[in-house]
Amino acid sequence: MLENFSFRTIVEYLPLFGQGLITTVWLSALSFVGALIVGIVLCAMNLQRGWLFRVPAKAYIDAVRATPLLAQLYFLYFGLPRLGFVLPELVVGILALSLNSGAYIAEIIRAGILSIPRGQVEASVASGMTYVQRMRLVVLPQAFKVTIPPLLGQAIVLVKDSALLSLISVAELTRAGQLLASDRFMPAEGFLTIAAFYLLLYYGLKGLAGVSSRWLGTAGART
Amino acid sequence: MIWQQLQSLAGSYPLALRGLGMTVMLSLISLVLGTLLGFGLGILRTGGNQLISGLIGAWVDLIRGTPFLVQIFLIFFILPEFGIELDAFTAGIIALTNLAACFICEIVVAGIRSVPTGQVEAALASGLSRWQRMRQVVLPQAMRIVLPPLVGQYVLLIKDSSVVSAIGLTDLTRVGWLVVQRVPNGLLVFFLVGVGYFIVCYPLIMLARRLEQRMGAAHGEVQL
Amino acid sequence: MTTTGLAKTGMIDFRGVNKWFGSLNVLKDITLSVEPREVVVVCGPSGSGKSTLIRCVNGLEAIKNGDLVVDGQRLGDPATNMTQLRTEIGFVFQSFNLYPHKTALENVTLAPIHVRKIPRAEAEKAGRELLAKVGLADKVNAYPAQLSGGQQQRVAIARCLGMRPKIMLFDEPTSALDPEMISEVLDVMVAVAEEGMTMMVVTHEMGFARKVAQRVVFMDAGAIVESGTPDEFFSHPKTDRSRAFLSKILRH
Repeated sequence: MLENFSFRTIVEYLPLFGQGLITTVWLSALSFVGALIVGIVLCAMNLQRGWLFRVPAKAYIDAVRATPLLAQLYFLYFGLPRLGFVLPELVVGILALSLNSGAYIAEIIRAGILSIPRGQVEASVASGMTYVQRMRLVVLPQAFKVTIPPLLGQAIVLVKDSALLSLISVAELTRAGQLLASDRFMPAEGFLTIAAFYLLLYYGLKGLAGVSSRWLGTAGART
Repeated sequence: MIWQQLQSLAGSYPLALRGLGMTVMLSLISLVLGTLLGFGLGILRTGGNQLISGLIGAWVDLIRGTPFLVQIFLIFFILPEFGIELDAFTAGIIALTNLAACFICEIVVAGIRSVPTGQVEAALASGLSRWQRMRQVVLPQAMRIVLPPLVGQYVLLIKDSSVVSAIGLTDLTRVGWLVVQRVPNGLLVFFLVGVGYFIVCYPLIMLARRLEQRMGAAHGEVQL
Repeated sequence: MTTTGLAKTGMIDFRGVNKWFGSLNVLKDITLSVEPREVVVVCGPSGSGKSTLIRCVNGLEAIKNGDLVVDGQRLGDPATNMTQLRTEIGFVFQSFNLYPHKTALENVTLAPIHVRKIPRAEAEKAGRELLAKVGLADKVNAYPAQLSGGQQQRVAIARCLGMRPKIMLFDEPTSALDPEMISEVLDVMVAVAEEGMTMMVVTHEMGFARKVAQRVVFMDAGAIVESGTPDEFFSHPKTDRSRAFLSKILRH
């Protein structure tokens, strides 16, 4: 049993956990911004009529969705140096998370855009708007609301996925737990503590999702 | 040089097959167990007993709120402290089954809740027992909602199985990791690893999409 | 190709227009001319092609063959700027299609500001006047979800008028409305007609047709079966199909 559970060691390692937590937060935030950019570009490519952009975008999205993040991470980690890019682990990690989540975000945005009723597009066509005007004035503002909740869901997934970066020795939260587990041979203290920190982030983001959906709900009273 | 690498890779062929076999085995076992457990939990969760429902909900939240890697570490390193000795394979199966069960539970709950109350009332009125109502009326209708995300969940499960390589199980990802130590061409090695997963996952992704379209058409909804 | 060489044209000119959905011939050899300031009511059973007919006029549907000339411009001609032409044509939908994220006033001013490039202040002033004209001066800042169906449809009409169109097309504008809201929308349409707007109206509201239409066109199975003044059509329908149709809609 856990009769030897040592809160003192946890307290002793608290600065390490704190640093890991902070790293996890900002690297996730950065990756999420990166993923948004990747997602928007992919989605724009995917919505084109011509195959030239659409086919590569679709292939990329399918390839990402059909393979594990860990394999993608190793692909970049072991593969980039071969192409002459010797990057710090942290950068490789952020790159992998952005490229991975970007594929999912592209699909979220696409679903948001396609959820706009046909009549909305027809009404804007009938009033003589160009494609760009239609998108900017009618479709995207409405799609934006629809995509916020699933985007926050993707943010939660991304934070959890970032734990895998510990496997290429990025000093984030899970790595802190691993250090405690291996230095002192206290896996319970190490992993239960980081689990608690992840739950903190999870409930934080979940709360944010709740707030945003209430906010969108009141805005939705207009729809 | 590439030629040598390819030769060396070809030599890893049996290892790769074993890795793929391990991935498929892990996924398959935990997929079956997780589905059974997930349906059970889902039905219990909607069963009306507040305590049971609350406990399941809390557990599901704990699992959804923590990284799978951390869950594996907890199971592999901490259960032994309770006197339960686990090999990596069993630990992997337990972790994956639990993960799958929790996500499938949520999918099943959403499906059951989508069935109109009038259906349950009609079944009640015709004197069906609780189990009969579930078995004959609710679940068959819930399946239309459940099936597409369920298949999608299987894809996630197969991909998540790669994380058990962290506790030393020689699955497909671990094979890549081993091979890349010997053949220093990460692009090629992990491209091939990716192909392995793709072959298993992509048909399931296509199936999920097909199901989604079919179910959408059956409901007369606009699907994406 | 320009309009020279075409004989005298109306505001909207269908000449031998055909359209298929797959193997279904939804418009059969349509020839119809709508003069400037004329109000034409199009009626017929569901699936007769009447909605498709007016959706072709602003290019929401493309025609397969034949000529369709609107305001002197031939549709499908590379020289015809559809986006430009659409600014001259107002379209009122059965399901309103107001923008849910915009207020009534913003719905009316959106296209004038961004398509017509009218200064915002000017567009808003005109928008307020138009909303007042359709009886919604007090709903300027309401969102569509806060409006009844009848009110939404009146905003939709104001939205079209905001573009100062030469033609207005109405696709069953009252059929999604509760009965008590129909007349408020029809009243607005009558007012628009009386100002001399060229209109094609798909509707079964025979009171409206009698009041303002110069012509009623009856369609069935993709073809124009009968066409005449409202009096002729309602009092002396010439074909069995129009008689059957009239007996059905007049029964209630």
